[in-house]
Amino acid sequence: MDLKLRKPPESSSLSSSSRNLKPDMPFVQFDSASLDHGVPRDQSFSEVFPQFVNQSRGVYVPETVTKNDLVIDWNPRLMLINLSFLEQKIHQVQDVVRSIISQEGHAFDRGNELAVQQQLVTADLTYIIIQLISTAGTLLPNIKNALLSTDPAVDRPDSGMGMNTNLSSGGGQKLNEILPQEVAKSCEYDELIKDFNACVGEGGELIKGLNHAGDELSESMPIDDHDVKDYDDVMDGENLPPGSYEVLQLEKEEILAPHTHFCMICGKGFKRDANLRMHMRGHGDEYKTPAALAKPSKEASSVPSIIRRYSCPFVGCKRNKEHKKFQPLKTILCVKNHYKRSHCDKSYTCSRCKTKKFSVIADLKTHEKHCGRDKWNCSCGTTFSRKDKLFGHVALFQGHTPTIPIDDAKVSGTPDTAQSSEATNGMVGNVGFNFSGNSPNDGQSLDIKSAAYSQGYFSPMNFDACNFSGLDEFPRSVYEVSESPFSFLSTGSCSFMQRNGEN
Amino acid sequence: MVSVPRGDAEATMNRPRPCDSDMSTVFSLDLLANILDRVSDPRDRKSCRLVCHGFLRAEEIHRRSLRVLRLEVLPGLLRRYAAGLECLDLSACPALDDRAFSAALAAGAGQWRLRSVSLSRASGVGWRGLAALVDACPRLEAVDLSHCVGVGDREAAALANAAGLRELRLDKCLGLTDVGLAKVAVGCAGLEKLGIKWCLEISDIGIDLLAKKCQDLKELDISYLKISNRSINSISSLGKLEVLNMVGCSFVDDEGLQFLKHRNNSLRSINISRCENVTSSGLTSVIEGNSGLQKLNVGDCFPELASLFFSKLNDLKDSLTVLKLDGFQVSASSLKIIGLNCKNLAKIGLSKCQSVTDEGIFELVANCVHLTTIDLTCCHLLTDRALISIGDQCKKLRCLRLESCNLITDKGLECIGTCCSSLEEIDLTDCSLSSTAMKYLSQCSKLVVLKLGLCYMISDEGLVLLASNCKKLRELDLYRCVEITDDGLAAIAAGCKKIQKLNLCYCTKITDGGLRHVSRLEELRDLELRGLCHVTSSGIAKIAMGCRHLSELDLKRCNLVDDGGLFALAQYTENLRQINISYCSISGTGLCMLLGTLKCLQDVKLVHLSLVPIEWFEIALRASYEKLKKLKLLIGLRNLLSPLLIEKLHSRGCRIRWVEKPFAARR
Repeated sequence: MDLKLRKPPESSSLSSSSRNLKPDMPFVQFDSASLDHGVPRDQSFSEVFPQFVNQSRGVYVPETVTKNDLVIDWNPRLMLINLSFLEQKIHQVQDVVRSIISQEGHAFDRGNELAVQQQLVTADLTYIIIQLISTAGTLLPNIKNALLSTDPAVDRPDSGMGMNTNLSSGGGQKLNEILPQEVAKSCEYDELIKDFNACVGEGGELIKGLNHAGDELSESMPIDDHDVKDYDDVMDGENLPPGSYEVLQLEKEEILAPHTHFCMICGKGFKRDANLRMHMRGHGDEYKTPAALAKPSKEASSVPSIIRRYSCPFVGCKRNKEHKKFQPLKTILCVKNHYKRSHCDKSYTCSRCKTKKFSVIADLKTHEKHCGRDKWNCSCGTTFSRKDKLFGHVALFQGHTPTIPIDDAKVSGTPDTAQSSEATNGMVGNVGFNFSGNSPNDGQSLDIKSAAYSQGYFSPMNFDACNFSGLDEFPRSVYEVSESPFSFLSTGSCSFMQRNGEN
Repeated sequence: MVSVPRGDAEATMNRPRPCDSDMSTVFSLDLLANILDRVSDPRDRKSCRLVCHGFLRAEEIHRRSLRVLRLEVLPGLLRRYAAGLECLDLSACPALDDRAFSAALAAGAGQWRLRSVSLSRASGVGWRGLAALVDACPRLEAVDLSHCVGVGDREAAALANAAGLRELRLDKCLGLTDVGLAKVAVGCAGLEKLGIKWCLEISDIGIDLLAKKCQDLKELDISYLKISNRSINSISSLGKLEVLNMVGCSFVDDEGLQFLKHRNNSLRSINISRCENVTSSGLTSVIEGNSGLQKLNVGDCFPELASLFFSKLNDLKDSLTVLKLDGFQVSASSLKIIGLNCKNLAKIGLSKCQSVTDEGIFELVANCVHLTTIDLTCCHLLTDRALISIGDQCKKLRCLRLESCNLITDKGLECIGTCCSSLEEIDLTDCSLSSTAMKYLSQCSKLVVLKLGLCYMISDEGLVLLASNCKKLRELDLYRCVEITDDGLAAIAAGCKKIQKLNLCYCTKITDGGLRHVSRLEELRDLELRGLCHVTSSGIAKIAMGCRHLSELDLKRCNLVDDGGLFALAQYTENLRQINISYCSISGTGLCMLLGTLKCLQDVKLVHLSLVPIEWFEIALRASYEKLKKLKLLIGLRNLLSPLLIEKLHSRGCRIRWVEKPFAARR
C-alpha cells in the first residue's frame, strides 16, 4: 500500500513542478511561494495557490510575509539565536542572488530558464538547511505544533519535503526578505539536481532522527501517533472544496492487512518498505548494492498528482464519501486508525482494569499509562483521571456529586447513609443514560490530548479540555454529534456495577 | 427582677416547696412567657427559674437557645428543653464525641425544632454524629463547625444531607477538600452564608462549582485560601452576594478584582485586607462595579493609595459607612477627600497609618460628623490637637483607639471626656497619661471597655475616680500599671461590679489582699495575674471561690502560687477553659488535680513546671487528653512523654506548641 501511495521523490517533484509552470509566471512569485509554504512540488502551482497567480507581484509579496509572521508567532524569541546562525548562511546565498538580479530583465520571459533558477536557489537553500538542521532540530517540536495548529497550508500531511516545511516556518522570516530578489542564473542544472537529491535524502534522515517519527521520507511530515489521532478525529477544518481533491477508498481487507510490503522470494510481510529492503539483503548480494538499498524512486508515477484524500469504506460513516457531510481522511494512517476505532471490534483489553477495550494498540498503550489513576469518581459511577474534569461533570448534572475516595471510607469504617445514597444516585444516573443505546463501534479516540479540545467545543461551557481516557463518553456525546451519534458507552455503567459488587 | 440567694437556689431545684401550686395558679404559663420575653440577662433568667417549679416549667417551654458550658449536664438539659429549643451552642464542650452527641440527640427524638447548632471546636464529633444531627433535626438551617480541625469530606457529606441548610461555617476544617465542598454545594443548594476560611485544601475548582451550584449565596468567607483569579471570576457570577471576605488571598491580584467590576451592585461589604498582590487599580475596579458598597476593608495590602482611588470614593458617596485603611500612607489631603466624599462614614480604621497628622484628622472629622468608631492605633504623629478636633465634631463617638499615640496628654482627653458622652470603648495603651486623665474619662459614664496598659503613671487615685462613675465597665486593662495597689482594686471592685475581663499583669504591688477585693467581681470571666510575685495560693483560692464564672486565668510567673491554689481552682471554677500556670511552684499532684477535675479545660500552658516529674505530666495529660485543644510544653518533654499520648492528643485536634526557652527567674 505504501508503495502504491508513495509520492514521487523530491527531484522529480521539482522537475515536474517546473514543467507545469505557466510560462508567463514571474520567478519572484514562484520562488517565494514554494519556499515559504512548503508546497508540495508535485502539484501545479496554480492549483495550490490560485490566488497568487491572479495577483500582481507587488501585492503578493508582503502578504506572504505576514502569513509567515503568523506561522512563527508562537515564540519568535526562542529561535532568534538559530535564526542569526541561519542569517549568516543566507548571506552567502544572497551574494548569488544579487548577481542574478542584474540579469532579471532578459530572463523574465523565458519560462525554462526560470525553472532552472528556481531549482538553483532552492538547492542552495537546501544546503543551508542541511548544515543547520541540527540547530533547527531543537526547534522542531515547537514548529510541529505550530504547523498543526496554525497554518493549514503547511499542515498537510502529504506535503512534500518535511524539511522544506520546517524551513518555511522556522527560518522563513529571514528568507522571505531575500527571496523576491531571486532571479535566473545560469548554472549546471543536472549537477544541482543531483546534489539536491542527496540533500533531500540526508535531510529526511535527520528529520526522522530528530522527530523519532520513524516514518519514511515519503511520509515525512514529522508527526507522531498522537498527532495523527488528533488529525483523524479533530482536524476537520480543512474545507477543501469538493472535487478539488482526489478521493481514494481502500478496501476493508487492505486497511486491515497487517503488512503492506512482501518479500518476493520468501513471502514474508513487512509494515515498512525500509524493513523489507533490510530483509532483502539476506537473499543475496545483489540486494546489497547501494542502488537496491536506496529508496525506490517515484519517477514511475510522474503524472502530476492532485491533493489526495481518503474515504472510509464503511457506508453511512461520515468519513465515507457517500455521506452527505463527507469529511475526508487525510492520510493512510488516519484511515487505518479511523476504521479500526470506529468499525472494528475492540480486541485489545487493558490488562490492568480488564474493562477498557481498544481496537488500536497505540490507544491501549496510552490508556495503560494512565489506567488505575482514575481516582475521581462521580456518584453516577463515571470516573475521571482529573479533578477538574469531574467537577466540570458535576457542575453540568443535577444531583451528581463527587464521591469520597475509597481509602477514606475504609478509615471511617461501616457504610453510612451518604454512601448508600450515592450508590442509589449512581444507579439512577446509569438508568438515565443507558436508554440512549450502546454503540459497540464507538469511534471516539479515547485519549485525546486536552490541547486539541481546549479551544474546541467545550470551552464556552466551562467544560474545557474534557478527558476521555475514563468512562465519560456520554457528556461528550451530548455536545458533539460530529462523528457517531450513538457514541454512548455502556462500559461506564457496567464497570460501576462491577465495582459496587466488589466492594 | 426576682432574685434568690444562691444557697437557696439549689434547694429549690431539689425540694418542691409548698408555695409551688400557689405560684402557678397566680401566673399562667403564657403570662410567665410574656414576662420572660422581657428578661434578657441570663443571670436574671436563672433567678427566675429558681423561684418555683411553675416558673421553671415556664422557662423550659419559653427557652429557645441554649449554650452548654459543661458536657456532663448536656443529656439532662436536652431532655428538659428539647421541645422548644431552636439554637444549641455546644462550642464550649470540646470533649463531645459522636456517641455522646447521638445519645443527646436521641433524648428529644422526633420533637426537635433545632434550627441552629454550633459545634465549633468540638472536634470529637465526626460524620456519624453529624449524620445523626441531620436525621434528627429536619429544620436545621445553620451549623457551625469552625475550628473542628478533624472535619473533612465525610463530615461535609453527612451535612450535605441537610437540604434546608442556609448557614454553614467550616473555618479551619483542615480536612475539607474540594470534594467535601462539592458535596455541600450540591446537597445544600439554598446556602446563603458560607465560611471556609483557612480550609487550605480548597482550590479554584471547588469554588467554581460552589458558585455554580449555590446561586443564593449572600455571604462568603474565603479568607486565606490558596485560590487564584479564576475563583474571583466564578464568584462574580453570584448575583445575590452581599458580603465577601477574602483576607490574605495572596494569589489574587488586580486582574482578579477586575471580575468584580461588572456586577449588579449586590455587594455591600468586601474585605480584601492582606491580599498582597492587590493594588489601587484593583481596588478602583471593585468600587466601580459596586456602587452600593457599605463596608470596605483594604488594610495591609499595598503601601500607597493612588489618587484615582480617592476620586472613585465619590461613587460610594452615600453608601459607604465603614472604611478600613490600615497600614497605608494617608496624607492630610487624602483624608480631606475621604471626608468630603464619604459624609455618612461611621467607622474609619487608620491603624498603623503613620503619616496621619493632626491636620488630616481635622479635615476628616470636619465633614464626617457621624463617625462612631475611629481607630488611630500607632499614629505616632497625633497630638492633643487631633483629639480636640475629634471631640468638637464627633459627638456620637463610641469607640476610640489611640494605642501608642505617645504624644497624647491628659489635656487631650479632657475634650474627649466632656464632649463624647456616649463613648463606650477607649484604648489608651502606651499613652503617657496620669490619673488626671482618669478624672476626665470618668465623665463618660457609658464606658464599657477601657485599656490603660503601660500607663505607668496611673495610680489608685485614678482608679477611684474611674470607679466612682463608670459603673458599666466590663473590660479593664491595667497591664504594667505598676503604681496600682490593693486599694485601687478595692475601689474598682466596689464601683464596677460588671467587670468581666481584668488584666493586672505585672502590677507588682498587688497582694492577696487585692485579690480578695477582685473576688467580689462575680461576673469576672477573664483574669490575668501574670508576674504578681506577692500573690500566694490563698489569694487564688479567694478568686476561685468568688469568681465562679471564671473561664480564663493567667498565673504565669506567680512564683508563690502552689498546689493549694490549684486545688481551690479545681474545686470551684468549673467553667475554667484556659489556664497558664507556667513557672508556678506546683507539684505533680496539683497538676493532676487541676487537669483531671476541670471538665471544660481546653487550653493549658505548662512551661517550666520544675517541680513536676515527667510521670505526673504523663498521668495528668492522659486524664485530660480528650478535652485539651491547645497545649504549651517545653520541647524537652517531647521525647519524654509517650508517643501514644501525643498521638492521642493530636487525634482529638489538640495543637501542642513545643517551646524552647531557658528558665529565666524574672523578666
